[in-house]
Amino acid sequence: MRAPEFMMHAATLVVVMLLAPLIPGIASRTRSILTARRGAPVWQLYSDLWKLLRRGSVYSRTTTVIFRLVPIALLACVVVSASMLPLDGRSAMLRFPGDVVAFAYVLALGRFVLVLGALDTGSSFEGMGASREVTFAALVEFGFFIALASLSVATHELSLSGMLGSRALAVTWASSAPALIMIVGGLFVLLLAECSRSPVDDPTTHLELTMIHEVIVLDHSGPDLAMILYANALKLSVIGALLARVAMPTMGLSYAMRLGVLVAGLFAVGIGIGVVESSMARLRLPKVPLYIAGGSALSAFALILLLQ
Amino acid sequence: MIFLLSGLSLLVAAAFAVISMRNHRRGNAVFATLVVAGCGLGIVPAVQVLYSATAVRSGFASALPGGDWIFGIDPLSAVFLIALFGVGAAAAVYGVGYMAFDSRTPAWPCHALFALELVALALVVCAQAIMPFMGAWELMAIGSLLLILTEYRHAEARRAGLIYIVATHVGTLALFAMFAVLARTSSDWSFSALATGTTSPSGARIAVLALALVGFGVKAGFVPLHFWLPPAHAAAPSHVSALFSGVLIKVGIYGLLRVITLVGPPPAWWGWLVLGLGLSSAVLGVLWALAQHDIKRLLAYHSVENIGIILMGLGAGALGQAYGHPSLAILGYGAALLHTLNHALFKSILFLAAGAVYRLTGTRNMEELGGLARRMPLTWLAFVVGSAAIIGVPPLNGFVSEWLVFQTLFRAGFSADALRIAVLAVPGLALVGGLALACFVKVGGVVFLGTPRSSRSLSASKPGLLLDGPPLVLAAVCVFIGCLPVLVLPPMLIAGGFVAGVPLLPLEARAMAAAVGAREISIMAAVLALTAAAIWLIAQGLRRTVPVRQSETWGCGYPLPSARMQYTASSFAAPLLEIFGKLSGVRAHRGASVFHSESVDLILDGAVVPWWAVIERAALRLRPLQQGRLSRYLMYVISTVVALLAYLLVRAGDR
Repeated sequence: MRAPEFMMHAATLVVVMLLAPLIPGIASRTRSILTARRGAPVWQLYSDLWKLLRRGSVYSRTTTVIFRLVPIALLACVVVSASMLPLDGRSAMLRFPGDVVAFAYVLALGRFVLVLGALDTGSSFEGMGASREVTFAALVEFGFFIALASLSVATHELSLSGMLGSRALAVTWASSAPALIMIVGGLFVLLLAECSRSPVDDPTTHLELTMIHEVIVLDHSGPDLAMILYANALKLSVIGALLARVAMPTMGLSYAMRLGVLVAGLFAVGIGIGVVESSMARLRLPKVPLYIAGGSALSAFALILLLQ
Repeated sequence: MIFLLSGLSLLVAAAFAVISMRNHRRGNAVFATLVVAGCGLGIVPAVQVLYSATAVRSGFASALPGGDWIFGIDPLSAVFLIALFGVGAAAAVYGVGYMAFDSRTPAWPCHALFALELVALALVVCAQAIMPFMGAWELMAIGSLLLILTEYRHAEARRAGLIYIVATHVGTLALFAMFAVLARTSSDWSFSALATGTTSPSGARIAVLALALVGFGVKAGFVPLHFWLPPAHAAAPSHVSALFSGVLIKVGIYGLLRVITLVGPPPAWWGWLVLGLGLSSAVLGVLWALAQHDIKRLLAYHSVENIGIILMGLGAGALGQAYGHPSLAILGYGAALLHTLNHALFKSILFLAAGAVYRLTGTRNMEELGGLARRMPLTWLAFVVGSAAIIGVPPLNGFVSEWLVFQTLFRAGFSADALRIAVLAVPGLALVGGLALACFVKVGGVVFLGTPRSSRSLSASKPGLLLDGPPLVLAAVCVFIGCLPVLVLPPMLIAGGFVAGVPLLPLEARAMAAAVGAREISIMAAVLALTAAAIWLIAQGLRRTVPVRQSETWGCGYPLPSARMQYTASSFAAPLLEIFGKLSGVRAHRGASVFHSESVDLILDGAVVPWWAVIERAALRLRPLQQGRLSRYLMYVISTVVALLAYLLVRAGDR
């Protein structure tokens, strides 16, 4: 890979990293507009992060070193998985055959450390959250790989850069748009589950028993919590970017246009989350597997269409 | 060959040394040294064969029926020899420390049998003719039975031994039938003659492939032939469990691959069958593992899962052969072999660490453990590396082989023929990964993190270097393979090419490893490490600028938390198990004031044991025939002779 190209990929990653805390803000702003409330400003998460960075930390006496590793491992894993995604619409910084698997499994490594950190506290609430997190993550993984397999079958590519940054995706849009529409729909359903948004998880709840993701990080505080919140926002942007790149192939466009499409896609994801959150309540926990199965089924139909 | 023979002699010497020096203070040290030296010598020719893509063999003329006794190392046997000697050396050293904890069971029989079992396993994978193969196979079966019975005072061990011996002999019976069919059209009983005589009719090939799946399948332990595996792994001493899970069950995989080299490209239905068996084994294995409370039984079910993943690679390879895609066949077989080696490494770590936990706490029940990370930090370190490897996250070896299996399945999706349906196995493998993550978070979190759930785990202490050293060494190998697959993948592809009948030169294998992206895995591992290091520096800087204090875990304001309020292993796994309903094999007993749940093996307790009772009842009907009276037995003999004479007369009359 030539140096200027590499700089372009790196610059896109930096833009996404800077914009990441904005997307949850857009989601909550959309919700407040739709429900006719005043709501928090769009950049609320930025000020939350800034506040947390200056707050003191409290560590539980039960915890071991793994608890302190959680923010570091989580953030590192999200950043590395982002570097495997063709954010700029052409190629990723890291691309190799089967990097789709690496993308998902690096995120899984982050989850592994996060959930172990939750059990490290010995708190029953965090144990409960950890149990729910791994349960739904296993099902989401299933659906996510159906979508990846469909994309791979459609484009005959093994890497994310090949699938999303090549002419093959545009050709597939021309030839089998229904399948790709179903993949986009399925991925959005899974995104809501993976990034702990409504209807799977309610980011605004204040009751520990009803939380999934919030409860895992109950004992983190100060800069550690800031890093975890930031990593979650970045993960939302990364998966949102994946969705945006599937939905909008940008093969022939200039770099500025491709970047614009990406940012527009991320904003659209934020607005979409806000619309879902203002229109439906959180599902009962036993219903969540059905919800994820529905999202997986959408991608599965696409896979069957493409395998025909 | 001379290295292998001297290595095996050292192992035999180790067995005799530990027997003759059983009352001597230094007996164990001599034993461990001899085993490590023997394994070290034995691994040399295997590595040589694998990296140079050659084969060595030597025959011993035999006057017995069945032809010469031929032994040799080819790329296929070399992979299994490396796993065997690597795990064997680590487990033997660990075993010395492990057996010293139990003063009631004498250690020397277990040690001697362990060394001899290593020899038998080496002979199985090196045998190149039917007679030595079956001989070594039975030695291996008997040796492993005796190893299961090391703690024969426990009824659990005796029951496990009984189930094992029945299962293994069913397998042996199928193997006898398989070799009988194979040898019908061949000039002698050596594997090379069997391989050239494969122009046999397709009916015979179907029979051979089906019998191989039963005979070797019992040993490999995929669903539904896995039922002997959990009790045997739980009852055996932990270093023996490591050898069983790491090497013994892999001999079944070896057998399947060996049969492919003997009968040539398998038909497509066999490939689909193996892929299907692999997928169901992987999903059910990890699901049943989630339901376990006994840490060693849980690990045993994970072996069922990983055998499933290996079979998925094997099945994809067979399909590649059947549909005429040689590169896919090499990749599939290579992935299966690499996962075999990787599973041997990380499952040994997990069993050895679990054994240390068992020795220091006296229980294998997870619900009584907790908080061991502070008391056994090195065991925890090894365990967490092993867990990360088994769930297949980078930068560890489990990721490399699962990524290869994924890649084979993705590539199968590109083909224009029916092979592309194989891509449907991709989400299944992803589900297995997700469930394995849930399961190892449960084990790691409940056993090692939080606060101790009983006095047993409260009083645990550091297990010492003999119990911590071997798993840590294996963990280092896991990290090495995970970060530098470019050194380990080419030999696996050479072995895969050997099975697929497409011999690869070392140079070609290296080119193929580079083409599938082995180098970039190292780059990714480096990026991951550097990013984490950079973020760590930033985090340390941030943490230094703010006040830090210690406190209790947040309990929503409740001031008196107790260890019993923690989430248990059962409740952790409950949401996932409920999704799968009856398939998860959990039986819950609800009363007015009690709740109790247990996990049953759907095959052993649901099918094998009930059917066994039916056979037993039928056999009882035959009791009257056997009354212990000599006159009766003489009458049986005479009537048999009369019947045979009558048969001869009738035959003569026909002519």
